[in-house]
Amino acid sequence: MSDSEKWAWWTGGVVVLTISAYGGFLAFVGHGPASFSVFALLALTAIPASSRRYFRGRTFDERERGIAERALRAGFSAFWLAFIALILAIGLIKGWDATLTVPVWALTETLLWAATLILAVEALTTLLLYRGGPRA
Amino acid sequence: MLKTGLEIENHIRRLRFEHGEMTQDDLAKRAGVTRHTIMALEAGKYFPSLLLAFRIARVFGQPLEHVFEHHCGELK
Repeated sequence: MSDSEKWAWWTGGVVVLTISAYGGFLAFVGHGPASFSVFALLALTAIPASSRRYFRGRTFDERERGIAERALRAGFSAFWLAFIALILAIGLIKGWDATLTVPVWALTETLLWAATLILAVEALTTLLLYRGGPRA
Repeated sequence: MLKTGLEIENHIRRLRFEHGEMTQDDLAKRAGVTRHTIMALEAGKYFPSLLLAFRIARVFGQPLEHVFEHHCGELK
């Protein structure tokens, strides 16, 4: 298994853990500023980049670079689609002239969901491309 | 619109064995890629860039067309 695949499995695991913990918090604490504290778990995604192996340097060849670029593009495309869907949903549901008052924690939580989405799609795309056919 | 059946075959596996049973790891190091990329090439799951194709051909001391073959399918 390549380092990029290991990164993808690790990141996917962190995303699943974060979503599970969020679900647990929702069940016991309810939706609010406390529940979004579970997003601190996303910091675990930094562990592979802080390993000795990473700093020692490794071969990152053209195929791996291509897969990493496509995975990142897929992550940001998913974010863009979700962003447009959210804008349209707010406009259509609340009305285009409505005024929204949003607590800071809700805004922060939305941004953290966006980061989670990007990481999840990037990790999944990486795994799919490593198993893909020609040009993967 | 023109559609072409594009196929690139390679003889990396055969050439490795003809060169003293060179391992995938050896070839990867000499071509400057990871072993996973050599595995993907041999399995036909990846088409290399022109630069990498030349580097692999140079490792085997062969012209490019002896390592990689391009089959152009019928135009539809």
